[in-house]
Amino acid sequence: MSRVVITGIGAISPAGTEHALTDVMARRPVSGALATLLDADWPESVRSRVARAERVTQLMAGAAGRALATAGWEAPDEQPQRDVGIVVGTAFGCFLSNLTHQQRVRAHGPAGALPRVFAATVSNAAAGEIGIACKLGGPAVTLTAGAASGTSAMLHAAALLDDGAGRALLAGGGEALGARVERWLRDAGLDTHPPTEAAAFVLLETAASAQARGRRSLATVCGGATGFDPQPGTDAALRATLATALAHADVPGNALRVVIRAAPPAFRAAEARALAALVEDADTQVLPLKSQLGETFGAAGGLGVIVALAGLAPGEHALILDVCGTGHLAAMVVRRDDGDWPPLEQLTT
Amino acid sequence: MITGCGVVSPLGRGAAAFFDGLLAGRSAIAPIRRFAADDLTPHMAAEVVGEEFARDAGARAAAFALAATNDALAAAGLASGAIDPARLGIALGTTLGGMDLFEAWEADRRVATTAVESIPYFGPAVTLARQLGARGPVATPQLACASGTYAVAVAARWIERGEADVVVAGGTDLLCRFVVAGFNALKATTDLPRPFDQARRGLALGEGAAVVILESAAHAEARSVAAPVRILGCGAAADAVHMTAPDREGRGAAEAMRAALAAAAIEPGAVDFVSAHGTGTVYNDAMEARAITAVFGRRGVAVNSIKGAIGHTLGAAGAFEAVLCAEAIRRGVIPPTAGLESIDPACADLDVVSGAARPTPVRIALSTSSGFAGANAAIVLGAV
Repeated sequence: MSRVVITGIGAISPAGTEHALTDVMARRPVSGALATLLDADWPESVRSRVARAERVTQLMAGAAGRALATAGWEAPDEQPQRDVGIVVGTAFGCFLSNLTHQQRVRAHGPAGALPRVFAATVSNAAAGEIGIACKLGGPAVTLTAGAASGTSAMLHAAALLDDGAGRALLAGGGEALGARVERWLRDAGLDTHPPTEAAAFVLLETAASAQARGRRSLATVCGGATGFDPQPGTDAALRATLATALAHADVPGNALRVVIRAAPPAFRAAEARALAALVEDADTQVLPLKSQLGETFGAAGGLGVIVALAGLAPGEHALILDVCGTGHLAAMVVRRDDGDWPPLEQLTT
Repeated sequence: MITGCGVVSPLGRGAAAFFDGLLAGRSAIAPIRRFAADDLTPHMAAEVVGEEFARDAGARAAAFALAATNDALAAAGLASGAIDPARLGIALGTTLGGMDLFEAWEADRRVATTAVESIPYFGPAVTLARQLGARGPVATPQLACASGTYAVAVAARWIERGEADVVVAGGTDLLCRFVVAGFNALKATTDLPRPFDQARRGLALGEGAAVVILESAAHAEARSVAAPVRILGCGAAADAVHMTAPDREGRGAAEAMRAALAAAAIEPGAVDFVSAHGTGTVYNDAMEARAITAVFGRRGVAVNSIKGAIGHTLGAAGAFEAVLCAEAIRRGVIPPTAGLESIDPACADLDVVSGAARPTPVRIALSTSSGFAGANAAIVLGAV
């Protein structure tokens, strides 16, 4: 992979990114109500647009806005930028709007359907709203791959940039949950950590673009891989995905300083075996992010990147792993560069 | 390379039935029969007929996709066990493919019994992946009504980058009250869609699944398969102006087409056929006329739309159009645009195929799709 770098990061997590960093690194549990806050620095036109949107869009817009801000990126005043886009990963992105639309149609008949609500029933609504607000005229992609959606989205964005489809892409994802989602997860028997709302984005940029803007990169995307386990919980697919990711990144397992592990409870043993075979260096710090934060689905990949980078010195590598009970797998390798870490208060809303 | 196609369409099952129906100018749009629709205005749509698809909530979209996939794999000569599972991927787009689940939940009706089938959004892709034992990349691209087109683009990229040898790529979507009531609320629907016609009033919805088997050239050659069509390039761009209405100038759609052509290293003049999104809404068709003219020039390329025949199949639409393009290349004929009688002066710069099929060599074809949230995607297909 030619150089694709991370120049901005932003997240909204249950306790804010600062707590996520300090508590997760210290292996303490975190909890707290998640507030949907709008960025006070945004122009009124953007704030009012996001304020009218569904909750998942508000969460993702908050995180995406912070990623752009920490990257020093400014939206143009006029036409959308054709070489800047967004790739969103989300498992249940529009669930709440889907539910609202259905409840209105059931209660009031077809006359109960509202155009504004129906427009938000598509999973790419958040990508569209953020693209309009930030004038992103490049690719606007939404990918769903269960709990591996966020990491899959970041890898897809990196591949797009690597293939020359633009100079920068917001990449990450988020989820807004509710009682119905949680009930469905329970009824369906899908093995997960406790479901949790969150959003996290990084700004991926070609190295040439970052250099042209005079920005030092926070990290480099070295490579990665996605895969699938048709019989979730077995070792083979996970081992193969990990091996492919490391080979693609050209980074040996024992060079990893931090590993973000992600398996749901029933698959922990398989994940532990796969990682043990891979990571031989006793100094590797293995962080069970989802045990601390819960299952944040589309946000998990971005949160993993931020937490991992916070624990790295320049030149060190981390592996961010996403494992879903459906069978989706994703693994991404990043290297910390020498860009200054943004002040923590800039990362959170 | 496209080595196999599979279709479950309102015109019938199989790529041949689908394409032959298009060539004959047939329309499958009729009053909705599968669910109560008397209070839906309008209540015309293109339904898939067949008891094998009458499933519990949550399973119908996956059943469409699975049937199309099995047919496509058979057409490709890829029997079970012929593909290394670690090198097999699934890219299956959908827009509202699991929305019948919400109806069932709210009515406390029976839903599909397995965890996988009761997943809205990405359940069909997971179902396919488990059925086929896929261990390569599996994803559900969701770009609203451009989902099927972008699924093919994702699959082509996986193969190009060496992440898979074979990818099942396409889209699936279904009709239910949730979907029809929503589009009716937008005042986007009509009884009889007339793409590019001066009397057009809106779209009619449809359902079904279409799948292509994308295979790396090396993999196909190793098993001595001669595939007539390959994906040459893909592009995507956003309007970034409105959540449901297209950019009136078609700038996002034009940019997606230009990006696909650039990725394919193809000049616009080399393209023989454009499969337009062509929904039949006033604004979409006018926008597309501007976009296509901006890229290809005035009456610079033959254009058609299939939405007067099978309705707007949402996340499956682009996948149906990929099959259409592959068949047009293979057979050397472009189907007519069902529903078009008198072209709108606003679209008069387009050379829209209407009335009867147009026999013509098609070496290069482009399919363009646009969707809610300003999503646009395009793919370029070419004869090998």
